[in-house]
Parts: sequence; C-alpha cells; structure tokens
Amino acid sequence: MTKKKRSINITLKRLLKWYLPNIVLICGIMLVYCWYLSIQIDKRFSGRRWSIPSKVYSDTTILYPGQKTNRTLFNEKLRRLGYREVAHKPVNKGELNRSTSFIQLYLHDFIVPSRYKEGIPVQIIFDEIRIESITNLNTGQMLPILELEPEEVMLFFGPHRERRQLVSIDQVSQHVIYAVLAAEDRRFYTHKGLDPKGILRAIYTNLRHASIRQGGSTITQQLAKNYFLTPKRTFIRKLKELFMSLTIEVMYEKNEILEIYLNEIYLGQKASEAINGIGEASFFYFGRPVSNLSLVEAATLAGLIRGPNHYSPYIDEDRCQKRRNMVLNAMYEQGWISDEELKMALPLPVEAVGYASYGKKAPYFMDYLSEQLTVLYSPQDLSSLGLSIYTTLDTQVQMAAENALKRGLDSLEKSNPELHRTDPQKQLQGAVIVMQPKTGYVLAMVGGRNYSASQFNRITQARRQPGSAFKPFVYLSGLDKFTPASILSNETRTYEIDGKEWTPQNYEPIAEGRVSVRNALARSINLATVDLAMQVELDQIISTAGKFGFSTPLKPYPSIALGSFEVIPLELARAYCPFAADGVLSFPLALKEVLDENDVVMERRHVSIKQVTTPEKAFIMSSLLQSVVENGTAKSLKEMGIAFPVAAKTGTTNDYRDAWFVGYTPDILALIWVGFDDGDSIHASGSKAALPIWAGLMNALPQYVSGGWFRMPLGVVKRVVCSESGQLAVEDRCPHPIEEYFLADHLPTDHCRIHGDGESFGRIIDGIKDFFNKY
Amino acid sequence: MGLKIFLISIKMVIVTCIFGFSMVLSGCAPAVMKPSPEVYRETPRESDEFEENAEKPGLSPRALAALQLTEQGRMFLENNQPDDAIGILERALNLNPNNGRNYYYLAEAWLMKWNIEQATEFNRLAEIYLNDDSEWLSRVILQRERIKERDQ
Repeated sequence: MTKKKRSINITLKRLLKWYLPNIVLICGIMLVYCWYLSIQIDKRFSGRRWSIPSKVYSDTTILYPGQKTNRTLFNEKLRRLGYREVAHKPVNKGELNRSTSFIQLYLHDFIVPSRYKEGIPVQIIFDEIRIESITNLNTGQMLPILELEPEEVMLFFGPHRERRQLVSIDQVSQHVIYAVLAAEDRRFYTHKGLDPKGILRAIYTNLRHASIRQGGSTITQQLAKNYFLTPKRTFIRKLKELFMSLTIEVMYEKNEILEIYLNEIYLGQKASEAINGIGEASFFYFGRPVSNLSLVEAATLAGLIRGPNHYSPYIDEDRCQKRRNMVLNAMYEQGWISDEELKMALPLPVEAVGYASYGKKAPYFMDYLSEQLTVLYSPQDLSSLGLSIYTTLDTQVQMAAENALKRGLDSLEKSNPELHRTDPQKQLQGAVIVMQPKTGYVLAMVGGRNYSASQFNRITQARRQPGSAFKPFVYLSGLDKFTPASILSNETRTYEIDGKEWTPQNYEPIAEGRVSVRNALARSINLATVDLAMQVELDQIISTAGKFGFSTPLKPYPSIALGSFEVIPLELARAYCPFAADGVLSFPLALKEVLDENDVVMERRHVSIKQVTTPEKAFIMSSLLQSVVENGTAKSLKEMGIAFPVAAKTGTTNDYRDAWFVGYTPDILALIWVGFDDGDSIHASGSKAALPIWAGLMNALPQYVSGGWFRMPLGVVKRVVCSESGQLAVEDRCPHPIEEYFLADHLPTDHCRIHGDGESFGRIIDGIKDFFNKY
Repeated sequence: MGLKIFLISIKMVIVTCIFGFSMVLSGCAPAVMKPSPEVYRETPRESDEFEENAEKPGLSPRALAALQLTEQGRMFLENNQPDDAIGILERALNLNPNNGRNYYYLAEAWLMKWNIEQATEFNRLAEIYLNDDSEWLSRVILQRERIKERDQ
C-alpha cells in the first residue's frame, strides 16, 4: 500500500468518523421534521380543507302563460341570475336572446331541495306585459309553467371574505388541466415536488429577458406555500416549503395534489370578495361550470394564476389576451394542443361574462333571517360549512318595495320640505313588508330607508302606535253582536279612564249622528268605533288581539279602539293575514330549507297555521275593508292605478306621528309605515303618506295581481237593508237600500222601521213571521 | 195528510187577508215584500263583477300552472315524501289560493307526518273550497275520519 493510498484511507476514515454521524443525525432530523410536517399536513387535509361561506338564496321564480310581468324587474332578475345576452338563438346554458316581444333563454341547471332541474332552451313570448306563451325550444312543446332558479342573495363570509365552489378533479376538463400545467408546472406528473430543471429554465428565461417571466416553484410548492406558509420571502420559509412539498408528494397522489391546488388558488376579486378556486373562477369569469370551459377560456384562467388582478380580463383585456396566448403556446410546445387548435385560438378575443357587484341585497330581510339562523348554527359554521339556505324572498318584490319606499319618501320630502333632515340618522323613515297571506311567506322586507345609515329594522324591532290600522280587530270583535249594517252612534262622548276624562274626536268633522258599521270603518270614524268598542267590551278586543298574534301589552282602555297601544309592524301585518286567509293565522316564514354542501336537507320550515276566526267573519271583514277603498279613507287608491279589488285600512296616530297603510288581495298583503324614529310629526295622514307607497309597490308587481276576490263562504248570506236603519229594506220605501253581507246565524229580522210606516207595519210583518214560525 | 192540506189552505187565506189589510193600512200597494232591486253604490262588490281581471279557478292559465305544482306535490306524496310535497304544495297555494285540492293534499302530507293539528286545519280549509264538488267533498270527509282515527 503506497503512502498516498494510506493517506486517502485515513482521510476517509476520519470523514466517516466525524461526518457520517453528523450526516445521519441531519438525515434523522430531516426525517423527524418531515414526519412532523406530515402530521400537520394530514391534520389539515383530512379535515375540512376550506371554509366555504354559506349561501342564502331567494325563492324560485314561477312563470306561466297569461301571467303579467314587470319587464324591467324581470330583465334585471335575469341579469342578476347571470344570463348573458347573445345576438343569436341561445345554444349554451346561460345565454339569452332578447327582443321587444320575446325572450329566448337557455336555462341554467339548478338544484333545489329534492329537485334537480336541467336547463333547457325556452322561448317566452310577451303580449305587452303579459306572457303569451312559453315554449321548449328543443321540443316545440308549450309549457304551462316555468321555474327559474333561486337567486344568490347573500354569503355568510368568514374574516377572509372568500368565495369558493369546490370541484373534483373529475369535473375539471382536460383543457383546464393542461392549461394550468403549461402555465405553472409542465413536469408536474414527473417530478417529486421539486423541479431542478424547471428552476434552471426559469433562471435562464428570466436572465434572457432581464425580468421575472417564470417562477421555478412547482404546483406542490405553490400549494405548500399558499396553504401552510406565509408569503414572506425568507430562506427558512423557502426551506420549509421544500420539505413540505416533498412530504406532500410522498403522502398524496398527483391528482389529489392537483385537485387541492385547483380549489385553493386565488383567482381574482369581486369587489371585496376574493375569488378562490377554479370552480368559482369559472363562473365568475365565464358564467359556466369548469367542466364546460372552452380551450381559450381554460387558457385564460390558467394565465390568471400568475397575477389574477394584473391579468384580469375585467382590468385589461389586451394584457389578459397576451398572457392567455403565452399559455396556449406553452400548451402547443408540450404537444397538448394541435397546430390547428392553436391557430384557431390565438386570434380569439377574451370574452368574460361580466359581473355586477351588488351591495348587500335585502339587508333587513337578511338580518331577520340571520336571527333565525343563528339559533340553529354558530356564525363560524355559517361562514365555513358551505350551507345552502333557501328563503321565501322574492327579489323582484324586494326591489319593487325598496323603489316604492324611496320614491314615496322622496316625494313626501319634496312636497313638504319641513320633513327633510340632512342628518341620515334623523331623516324621515319608512318600512315595508310584503307577505302572502295564506302561507305567511315573507316576500320582501324593507326595515328602513338606508341600511348603511341605520340597521334598525322598523318592521321587526320598532314598536309604534297603529292608530286606525288597529280598528279592524275592534270591528271583528264586535261581529257577534253587530252586523255590517248595524247603526253606531257618532255623538261626542266623554269616557273616564283611571279617574281621568277622555273625549275622543273624529279625524275630521262628520255631520251624521248615526253611521253604519261598514261606514264607520270605511271612513275610519273614531267616535263610532269607540261606541262599538264600549258595547263589545274592551277585554273582548284584547282577547281578539291576543289570538291574532300581537305580543305587545294592551290594556283595557277605551283608547285601544283607536290603536293607542304600540305594536310591532310585523305583527300588525301578520294579524291582517287571517282576513285574507279564511280566518287562518300563519307564522311569518322567511327561512324554508337549509342544505349541507352535499345537498342533504338539514333543516326545513313549513307553513304553520291556526284558525283564529271563522271563514265567514274573515270574509265579512274583507268586505268591510274593501269599502275603505271603495268609499272610504283609501278611495284615492283608484286614482293611482289600482283598478283591482283591494281590502285595506289606513292609520294615522296623534299629531301625525305615524302613517300606516295595510292593503291586501287574496294573493298578496303589504304593510307600509312612514314616520320619524324620534316621533316627530310627519304632517300627513296614512292615506297621504303611506297609501301612495302601497300603490307604487302594487303597480310594480302585476305578477301578483290576479284581480280575483274572496269566495263567499256558505255561512254568509246577502240581504238588502235600509242604509239608514240597518234593517231589512222595504221596497219603494227605503230611499237607499243596500245589499249587505250577514253571518247566516246573525241575520237581520226586522224590517225598516224608519220607512216601513212605523209601528203598525212592523207589527203586521212580525205577526206574519210569528204565525209561520209557530206552524 | 188531509190535515196538512187543510192547514196550508187556512194559512193562505189568512195571509191573503192580512196582506189586503196591511195594504189598506200602509196606503201603498207592493204586491210582495221583497228586497229592492235598486242598489245603493255602497254595496260591496262581488268577485264576478271583476270578470275583466278575475280568473276563474280551474280554468285560467294561472290555475293550470298551479295545478302542475299540485300534481308534483301529489307525486311526492305517492313517493312517501311529505316534506317535499308540503314545500311544493305551499307554492301551489300561493299561486292559486282557491284550489281546494292543495288543501286536501296538504292535510294528507301533514297526516303522513303525524301532525294532527295541521292536518285538521288543512282538512277544514279543503272542505271550504271543495264543498261544491261532491266527489272531492266525500274524500275530504273520509280524510277527516282518518285524521280523527289517527288522533285517538
């Protein structure tokens, strides 16, 4: 053995002696560290990988031939649903071709609880505002009904305000996968988490162009960085990223890694909301699911990964197109697309679907809903579990209600500048609730004029005196004792309450000393109403109010007849529903269903009803309240375009602090309140301040106006009575006979004693009756 | 029988006499006391007066559309899916509140869910809207019996 060889051996031995343990130790540490990382990775990936905000949806929209529509609101609805206009017959889902007389629409697929509706192309032909026909364009078949998908109204965001729709790798088209690999990591399927060739190529390319054109990070590295690490550029972070990538590669299949990456990546911004994952981005940029993306769309999305906002088609189309073409060229270089495909794709413009960023829609309704949801789910669950929450909201009604309130309040301020306040906290306020009386569905809720200025919901949280809007419950309480034709006193009287005298006054002077029940309610005559209340007994009125769902305390004072006790507007609207629903009170329903992210129903709310009065009394009340519109305090409604039968009641409180209007048909009920939060006078009555808002609202909702009226129950009969005496009319004698409704078990028996030649005539008739009754 | 005819004849004679007498007393001559055909404008209006706008239940496109939903609801009931049935029948009810069958099927769905209270309420409403349809009315009555049985 030569000296040289011996010295090498010694060196090797020394190396082995000193360095091998260190190497083994370092390897050991690395292994332990990787093991530690694997636990962390497993913990994150095996549990919930992302927080998916829960989405709140409106109800579906039903269309049918013969239905009247508000074309403006309908078009806005289609836009919000993401239908994009094309100049040809729609061939892809989500496309819309519009003309003045028809709409051709390729419906989106949608899922609502227990029902999956596959999108079909349809044509809706309009005859002015009425739908003339609905045709399935595939089969030529006429459709009797069409259901449009629910509209996304709100997301329960977590602190990061991220939108994300999860997709599985099987749903992602091959174009998208190739495009992403071409843009970010061409050797993804061959490397082990780290790509030295890629790093060298990136360094070379960047040096050649003297700018950062390529990154060397693999998809696995990017995933490790995005998912687990901070964006800080430090050596330690880079090292950690390296170890984590290697660990991920050992633990997971390539397709699993790619799927997580595609769902994780940040791909843009919709106002304050981050667009994350290819599933969400696909809808955001192209309005369709990722499985349906074309080659150019796939390349556009892949190009965005490098700089989502820099290359966004919504920010700079040219820059986006250049970046997209780089991706297309890279795909071609890899042999993933053909020469022909490349040549066809390169000149195509970038065509993003467009989006509208809305503020919080129906914010007061959402607050009302959230209160109910937070009883069921924690805020954290709502912002992470990806629930689908279906509601009764009709966004067209909501828009109409918001517009009507805004116009109404603006108009009031214009007509009386005294009402205008510059401080948004103190400005004139109003509130609207729209319900379907048979089911209690809350179609719309506007709890105030400006949600950003005041989140106080005047429909659900306010307590205000209802004034005359409470009178129907007084009259209903009296229907066992009085008929619509009964005569009440309109004389001024003084009542004693707790030792104090109270003398009610009429809103305006009324000459008649005696008025009928119908007339008293129609004209909202205070004196006659108090007269009735005192004869009915006040406890009876309180009992009625309790049955009709008023939860606020009411006391047996005569002033209760004039609505002097505060009520919650939502409860007042609800209490009118039984009049329109055969005497049945329904619970106000806003939340319908909650589905988990796999579309499994977790929670369901149905209509809940209970009878609070008879169908006969409900019918008579509707008839009495129809007189309010026909001849009473709401007759101006007809001048405002309301030509269909309506039952309604106005309400005004002392010093004009509150103005109310509650009106309904068999199909819809709406309550309007106008006033100041601090109780200042608005110097206008319910018929002046609130009624025009109701009219504006209903004129915007022709789809809810059938023009029908209530069926007369069997237990109601008609009789002709003398309008002066309220007794059965005598032909050719009573100057103003009227046809009146009566409860079958509470019919008038006496003939008119005013015009029927007095006592003798009456006695004869009564004698005949007695004779027949006897035998 | 003979006594009945005799009583009726007596009644008619007495009525004729009394009427004659009453006409003399009252100084005018209405042949029969009947409600005046002249109607004061305050008269409440009825649904058939709004023919231009009104839709006859069962005939209008709206009612037809609602019937489609009712049919879907019925199918859910057949498949023993009362919750789904209720959801769709509620929509049908909102679209056409006069369709008594909706109430009948809603009562059926609630009965399936053993909610006697709601089943009773909807059965009662079904009776109101189906009282002019003898076939359906008998179904409603049978349903009421079933509800009562379930309640015991």
